[in-house]
Amino acid sequence: MKPGGWLAVLGLAVALGGIGAYAALLRVAVVRNHPELYVVACAIGTVLAGMALRRPHRWPTWVALAITALLLLGTATFNFVLARVPGGPTSVRVGQRPPDFTLPDATGRPVTLAEFRGKKPVIVVFYRGHW
Amino acid sequence: MAELQGLGAALSEAERSGVEIVAISPDRNEQSQRLAEGLHLGYRFLADSDLAVTRRYGLLHAKAGPGGQDVPRPATLVLDRDGVVRWLSVTTNFQVRPDPADVLRAVRAL
Repeated sequence: MKPGGWLAVLGLAVALGGIGAYAALLRVAVVRNHPELYVVACAIGTVLAGMALRRPHRWPTWVALAITALLLLGTATFNFVLARVPGGPTSVRVGQRPPDFTLPDATGRPVTLAEFRGKKPVIVVFYRGHW
Repeated sequence: MAELQGLGAALSEAERSGVEIVAISPDRNEQSQRLAEGLHLGYRFLADSDLAVTRRYGLLHAKAGPGGQDVPRPATLVLDRDGVVRWLSVTTNFQVRPDPADVLRAVRAL
């Protein structure tokens, strides 16, 4: 392989490796909470593939540049646009009681928030479901 | 589920019995409940199928689900024994959730 080819392969490896590593380490909070890192990995991969074109190379180097650039565009769009959740005020304030509610648990039994009052602290997690 | 497991796993056994964890989503969650029980995570999954509670809490993210349906903004609240909010986290990127260690610090500080 020509020198540019190796650089292009390295660029691809950095971009794909960054995405793969993020997915593999989703359970590690410090990794999960820095999704911009996989975008940075794709940016570095794109730069490497671009630099490869300045060295002796063959046509697959262009393919590597196209793939890394598409990955960069895709991951940046996902992280900075699609994954955004609008800020906006909530009706919950630290130091206040949140609205009470009664909701069915997985067996259909109704659970009321106020039933824990005076008994134990409660962690309430709102999440999007198991998809 | 991943972030929920992290939270449950970070609690010691004694702490798990001393704190109630309720996880609210529009899904019915029999599956999640079975999974959490298998892992002894001490979770209660509650179904807010029409998102009425989510809306009342100001946590509705309109048309953001995979099929364009409304979903909650991921949020975590820590309530003390009197039912008062002592710690609150609402994410601005759905990949980002509070670190279980931070949630537990808030619980332990009660």
